[in-house]
Amino acid sequence: MAEPNVVIDPITRIEGHLRIEAVVEGGVITDAWCVSTLFRGIENVVKGRRPEDAAYIAQRMCGVCPTSHSHGSAMSVEDATGTVIPNGARLVRNLLEAAEFLHSHILWFYTLAALDYVNPAKALAANIADTYALAQAAGTSTSDFGAVQARLKKLVDGGDLSIFSNGWWGINPLTDPEAADALYNPEMPAELHLIGVAHYLEALEMQAEAARVMALISGKFPHSMTSVAGGTAWVPTPDKLDDILYRLKRVAEWINAAMIPDTLAIAPFYVAALEFGGGCGNFLSWGVFNREDQVRESRYLPAGVLYAAEGLKVEQADYNKVKEYVDRSWYISETGLPPLEGQTEIITEWTDSTFDREGQYSWAKAPRYDGKAMEAGPLSRMLVAYLSADNESNAAVKSLVDGALAKLGITDPTKLVSLLGRIAARNLEAKFIADECLGWVTELAAYVKDGGADFWASYKADSGQGAGLWEAPRGALGHFINIKGGRIENYQVVTPGTWDLSPKDGDGQPGPMEAALIGTPIAEVERPINAARIVRSFDP
Amino acid sequence: MTQEAVKEASFYERLSHRGVSRRDFLKFCGSTAAVLGMSSAMVPTIATKIAGAAESGLTPALWIHGGACTGCSESIAQATYPNVADIVLDILSLQAQETVQMATGEYVEQAQEACYEANKGAYIMIFEGAVMTGLDGNTLRVAGQPLTEHLKKICAGAAAVVAVGSCAVDGGWTRAYPNPAGGMGIGEWMAQEGIGTPCVNLPGCPVNPEEIVAVVVQALICGDLTQVVASLDEFGRPKYLYGSTIHDNCPRRGHFENGEFVYTFGSPEEGKAWCLYPLGCKGPQTYRRCPMIRWNNSVSWCVDSGGPCIGCANWNWVDNNAPFRGRVRQVGKGVIGGPGGVSPVTAASVVGGVVAVALVAHGFGMKAAGRIGKNPTMKTETMKEYDRKRLKKEAK
Repeated sequence: MAEPNVVIDPITRIEGHLRIEAVVEGGVITDAWCVSTLFRGIENVVKGRRPEDAAYIAQRMCGVCPTSHSHGSAMSVEDATGTVIPNGARLVRNLLEAAEFLHSHILWFYTLAALDYVNPAKALAANIADTYALAQAAGTSTSDFGAVQARLKKLVDGGDLSIFSNGWWGINPLTDPEAADALYNPEMPAELHLIGVAHYLEALEMQAEAARVMALISGKFPHSMTSVAGGTAWVPTPDKLDDILYRLKRVAEWINAAMIPDTLAIAPFYVAALEFGGGCGNFLSWGVFNREDQVRESRYLPAGVLYAAEGLKVEQADYNKVKEYVDRSWYISETGLPPLEGQTEIITEWTDSTFDREGQYSWAKAPRYDGKAMEAGPLSRMLVAYLSADNESNAAVKSLVDGALAKLGITDPTKLVSLLGRIAARNLEAKFIADECLGWVTELAAYVKDGGADFWASYKADSGQGAGLWEAPRGALGHFINIKGGRIENYQVVTPGTWDLSPKDGDGQPGPMEAALIGTPIAEVERPINAARIVRSFDP
Repeated sequence: MTQEAVKEASFYERLSHRGVSRRDFLKFCGSTAAVLGMSSAMVPTIATKIAGAAESGLTPALWIHGGACTGCSESIAQATYPNVADIVLDILSLQAQETVQMATGEYVEQAQEACYEANKGAYIMIFEGAVMTGLDGNTLRVAGQPLTEHLKKICAGAAAVVAVGSCAVDGGWTRAYPNPAGGMGIGEWMAQEGIGTPCVNLPGCPVNPEEIVAVVVQALICGDLTQVVASLDEFGRPKYLYGSTIHDNCPRRGHFENGEFVYTFGSPEEGKAWCLYPLGCKGPQTYRRCPMIRWNNSVSWCVDSGGPCIGCANWNWVDNNAPFRGRVRQVGKGVIGGPGGVSPVTAASVVGGVVAVALVAHGFGMKAAGRIGKNPTMKTETMKEYDRKRLKKEAK
């Protein structure tokens, strides 16, 4: 078997620590390994503690999506105790989660991913007047483009590129601009690069604005303090609702004025990315944003499972079909356990042969649904929503996706199962949520105005087991709890990260990200930017 | 104009492009002065120093991620004045910050190495997350070897280490029982390895960006980090950030005095912003400035949104503070202080004791003194079942 000739470690601009290894033959990746290189063990920490404490601890698994984890954790306790949260709490949680998604998607597209498509060095060559003309033609918002360019120039003239240092895979973009630009699409004009950089800076304020909505509801961001099992500790007041509405509107307007037009303006220069990066072709969504019935299939973005190979038909998502395999991971616990019985027992010794591509090579477990690797994330959610004809969101999602495809001149919707499709799905989802969530503020205000005052339901957490099935911005999230004698006897979390970054399983079936890497063209093994693009497209 | 004034003017011009007025900025400097315990007479100095730093050369810095959730990086991304772009483009030359930096893979290592060689002994090392020591450091490997191997060199070459967030200070939740991951703080790890670089501890889960800004401002005013380091408390924390409890400064303190409490989440009492103590608020035992600094450009903080403090800035906070709904009734330093304070195993059992009744007794005392009079809610709080049983047991 061929040895990997591409190793990227550490992968930056993601949450956490990740190593990628790949074999490139004839300009294409033929095999790949996703290596999660950090073990922290939060499932062990939660064990033995009180069920209501789990949400505070378990959310600290991820500093980008703690809100989603606190919801997943609280819902697992509610499922175990048969608690239904009041309608007021449902609306509060939807708003909090919406702000989490908007914050995360803006941060992902601009702060984390954009530098793979936008070349800040080329922005130095942009003509300012042309940049305004281009922004107007593309329908994207203008900024003080001259000031942004001057700021970049000052940085470059100072001879210290700070966070941009070494960003061109070993090429100096100042002495060798053409080689640096070859990493991107050289046909993309400097003016569009400058627009990208300007919005990259603006995005910092907009993600912070979305995070302020979370802070208003949950005390601070990151780490949410009020989404407790049973409902919410936060009680809406008119002034706070007003503040939330104002800030969400500002974010929603910016998504419509900048993020969506930027996506549509940059995408035509990367249409090649419609041809690779599709991955395993199986999709899982637990659904997110409850409607009044609090049923997973009727959520604003519904639950469902989709096997692309078996035609575009959505099946009901059932957590009893989930098993986690550890044949290729650094655990000594039993393989193939359902999450409610899952264990997190790590190896006891590290030797020179512990890292073994043919054997165990990652701290991530390999969750499988009915034996299959499943992609989790916005692409899964948008595909499931697009194909769930009975769901109330169906029409809105369909028109959003079809509209974007038409603008890009794509006639075959299955092309969405690709690198570019994964990116587009995330940004379109941001727009869907931005447009919907303003109505939830109004709904909550009406609830309060009509005398609604229920935000928390009491429960008795003595014993029982339950699953909190929800979505984080990066995909399907399940918290699984087993309560005995008022204490947590067992706790397992199946994160979107473990779904997408899973290593191979005992049968050699690659994880979704590994599958997406296989078949990806790599022009130069020294500069595998396409591999980095694939990895980041999952928002790991 | 003096050179400093020119720099300041140019800084304000750039702020105005971001929609931030000079007045907003001075307001920020005012609150920073308050955080630092300085008089408002210092505000112009602070403004000049920040503006000057933003227009001068960049200070070299490496931001290294240990066993982290990226929450402290996220927290910095929520800073407003200076915002994260100001920090990375105008103030600090961050040659390594894995969450935002452009380089990836081996090119990260190269950038780090270049910074190390050029600025040995002069760069600041900011550390987020825990030092993972489990399996001889193999619970976190970076670029093919344990992170601890990289840290030996990077820590030794730094002018100072700033540990941001509880994980970096003491391992945070990764340290909690019975986790085998082996998380520990960077300061204690350096001591164990015999690395003498000074370490500034900023505990909290996550760190508040204003806490980092306060340290940066203090360093700017003093010229370097020497005085920052000289003014640390026994836990390596800046005194002005960790010198008083949440309870001391809580805007809901008046309700505590009046015996006006929230007993259930999401209740009308919460709508009136009453005291969260019965829900397990750790404000009385937690040293941090949250009520004054607040979060996310000051829009709120935990208690303001109805979330009882869980004491995330305390030593080994998960072991020491959980169960979060349980009330810790002993007050004062050393209860949930730090190493040398209470060990995790005994933490649960020390809750109680002679001082234990202080807070409850205080509430009743206020009632006896007539201050809370006929408060209806207080009437229902004869005594919590939990307290009654424990006091009975302790009396034996």
